[in-house]
Amino acid sequence: MAASQAKQPEWIARLDSAVFEVFEMMLARNCSPAEIADAIAPCISARILFSGVIDGECVLFASESVARATAEALLGIPSEPGDPMAGDAIGELCNMIAGGWKSKLGSDEAGCAISPPSIATHDGTIEVNAHEGIRRFYSFEGHVFGVHMNF
Amino acid sequence: MRALIIDDSSVMRKVIERALRQSGLDLTEVVEASNGEEALEALRKDAGSPQKIGLIISDINMPVMDGLQFLEARRDQQLAAGVPVVMITTEGSEPFVLRAIAAGAQGYICKPFTAEQVKARVMPLIEAA
Repeated sequence: MAASQAKQPEWIARLDSAVFEVFEMMLARNCSPAEIADAIAPCISARILFSGVIDGECVLFASESVARATAEALLGIPSEPGDPMAGDAIGELCNMIAGGWKSKLGSDEAGCAISPPSIATHDGTIEVNAHEGIRRFYSFEGHVFGVHMNF
Repeated sequence: MRALIIDDSSVMRKVIERALRQSGLDLTEVVEASNGEEALEALRKDAGSPQKIGLIISDINMPVMDGLQFLEARRDQQLAAGVPVVMITTEGSEPFVLRAIAAGAQGYICKPFTAEQVKARVMPLIEAA
């Protein structure tokens, strides 16, 4: 854990870089860090597991409306409420961010495996004030989502 | 041309299809599979088709059967021999790339990607096929 904590500033910078790269290349949108939120409204989350040299997880969470905005940006077509593509878009966004973050590690650590994303929907708000790991919020066109990484 | 796109994300299958069309590829049909097992079944069905699949795009990280297992099974079962295969995946580390190439992939694109990158990797393979 101590080694992980020592690496946190570097890992945060890599996470920011991975998020910005995904939005620029895949969504053609600018994305920037946002104020920390205490909770996210009824939402969708996607979880990727790291295993091997690094054990941990990357969780991306967003409201349903932000998930639909993400699907619209990826696909270039409107997304209506209840669109199943919205959850899929959050899963793929998490997958690309986790993969991009991993690719920016040193060659030894980049050898860890990542799982396919598992997607979940939540009826109530998700408390996001976890005490461990990296927690960052980002905004694109006024849509805020969070990324939590824990090792 | 008919293309087989293998990815567990339906959103990503659509994104890849759009990138292929933006590359100038004249796609008459896109066959979709959400894992390697479904892709093998699609290739078995395609064996009797008058217009066969001419391009395969595959992810690596997928449930049921991943992209590397798919490549190895396709090679062992001699399905769609000679059809160009391009991997589009978040797994960009050397062991994955080497294993994919050894199992028959001719191209490798890391996510995130641009349509220009897809064009640069895919079109030369189509022209050479």
